[in-house]
Amino acid sequence: MQIEIRNLTKLYDQKRGLLPTSFEVKKGELIAVVGHNGAGKSTLLKMLANWILPDSGQAMIDGIDLRKRTAFVKKVGFVPEVPNLFDFFTVEYNLKLFAVLFQTPFLRVDEVLREFNLLPFRKNKIQMLSKGLKQRVNIGRALLADPPVLLFDEPTSGLDFEMTKELYRLLNTIHAAGKTILFTSHRPEEIKSLATRILVLHEGGLVFDGSPQQYFQSEIHENLYAL
Amino acid sequence: MMRNILALLFNDLAIALKNKTIYLILFIPFFVFISLKFTDQANVSVGQIKIGLVQGNTYAPKIISSVKAAEKSIVVTWIKNETEGRRLIKEKKIDGVLLKNKNDPDSLTLLVLKRESFHTLAIVENFSALQKAAEGISANWIADIETLYPGDIQKQTLPTWILMIVLLIGFIILPAQVAEEKEKNLLLALLQTPIREGQWLIAKVITGMVLTFIAVLFLHLLGNFGVENLFDYVVLIAVGGFCFSAYGIFLGFLCRSQASARTLGVVFYLPHLLPSALSDYSQQLTVVAPFMPSYQFYEPLKTILLEDGRTANMPFELVYLFLVGSFTFYLSYILMKRRWLMR
Repeated sequence: MQIEIRNLTKLYDQKRGLLPTSFEVKKGELIAVVGHNGAGKSTLLKMLANWILPDSGQAMIDGIDLRKRTAFVKKVGFVPEVPNLFDFFTVEYNLKLFAVLFQTPFLRVDEVLREFNLLPFRKNKIQMLSKGLKQRVNIGRALLADPPVLLFDEPTSGLDFEMTKELYRLLNTIHAAGKTILFTSHRPEEIKSLATRILVLHEGGLVFDGSPQQYFQSEIHENLYAL
Repeated sequence: MMRNILALLFNDLAIALKNKTIYLILFIPFFVFISLKFTDQANVSVGQIKIGLVQGNTYAPKIISSVKAAEKSIVVTWIKNETEGRRLIKEKKIDGVLLKNKNDPDSLTLLVLKRESFHTLAIVENFSALQKAAEGISANWIADIETLYPGDIQKQTLPTWILMIVLLIGFIILPAQVAEEKEKNLLLALLQTPIREGQWLIAKVITGMVLTFIAVLFLHLLGNFGVENLFDYVVLIAVGGFCFSAYGIFLGFLCRSQASARTLGVVFYLPHLLPSALSDYSQQLTVVAPFMPSYQFYEPLKTILLEDGRTANMPFELVYLFLVGSFTFYLSYILMKRRWLMR
């Protein structure tokens, strides 16, 4: 198993958050994490991204524990819902800064710019870009060190139809390259068209783990928004 | 390790350049320099004293005759009443008014804008000389004045300006920069790389120290202020820069947003600046001020700049500043490890 999560827990004020949750992920899976607002989807991904520290439990990627941060971050790239880039600087500067910190050669920056069709924007300041383009730069940055696992938190939130289609294409390309992907989503069509497996969280607990076919035939899907 | 620190340091300095912080720390010394240019200096010639005499008052004849005899140094303006005198003083048309003393009709009261000014001193000195001449006394009891802090007022106020700049960078600029990185999740993005928390903190502290050195150097260049013991001065600025940069970074970690960091910065800035800077003028503040780290920076600063002191004679202050800096650095490290107020 590439990802092993055992009793991973995070509670905010003993109410919201993630109750003890366990699951495993095989290499190359594309998993949709589904649930209401406050169900614990983002908490789960942010814990795996080291944004939030778990109260208890364990998470391993390729045998490396979450708590060994400097080694763990080489295994996982995280794309948050709101792009977090240095707005004052250019696309190229942002990627080069992180390439230095990842100790990745600048050649990789050129590759990412090419792969994500960012070459025409390389000298543009981030603050001048649309959200879709910023998201593309964010994804490119997450892939700079070529991590085997990628996490996307609401990747299509705030994107228009064209940008959403473009993002689906990118996700499929990244998945086809052999990466394992976990993404959170509210959109049934997104889940249906992308995911190879679905995890449903409700009030902090994992209530469903199965294939898209099982999910869409289950009562969970029908009742999810009635739960 | 060094590579990461340097990359983060250059990034922080580039941010300071882009968000105009660097202009702020250059503007402040420039503003200070311009203000000092217009400040009265100890060796400035006051020139003629413009004194007001009230028309209805009966002054002793020897005073009137002495003042008239000294027409080269004293210009007399006759005014209708005290109210007019107060107005003319405020308008800087006269330097003072001689009034009848309410308690002793044989003596006078001098009405001036401020007791502690060169003009007041000049009036008192001139009238004292006139009185001695009129009464036939030739020698002064005090023949000369020697000051503990030599130099003009520009140099004497230099430690206050340096303190202001160091605290401004520590308490206003750095907390806002740290809080901005937290608010925009930029710090979390950096922590998704293999850098260590300590490397980020070291880079941030060095950024604060570099900004401090730039501002201090600029002020010295503008005012052409020399320093006798340069090495000691550099050591003190480095230790002070470290202390207040680390302190400011810690304040930034206590805030979720830039706005709250600015508010908290001001809350810490003024109590650190005012008691120390005003301790020269108040005995009560001299009792309270030593409890502030700023005072432990300000006193050695005065000693080095105004008395050509050496850091070898101020180990307590240097160790104190270093310990405060190290302690707040450690607290920031703990908060960073815990992702304090980060989303």
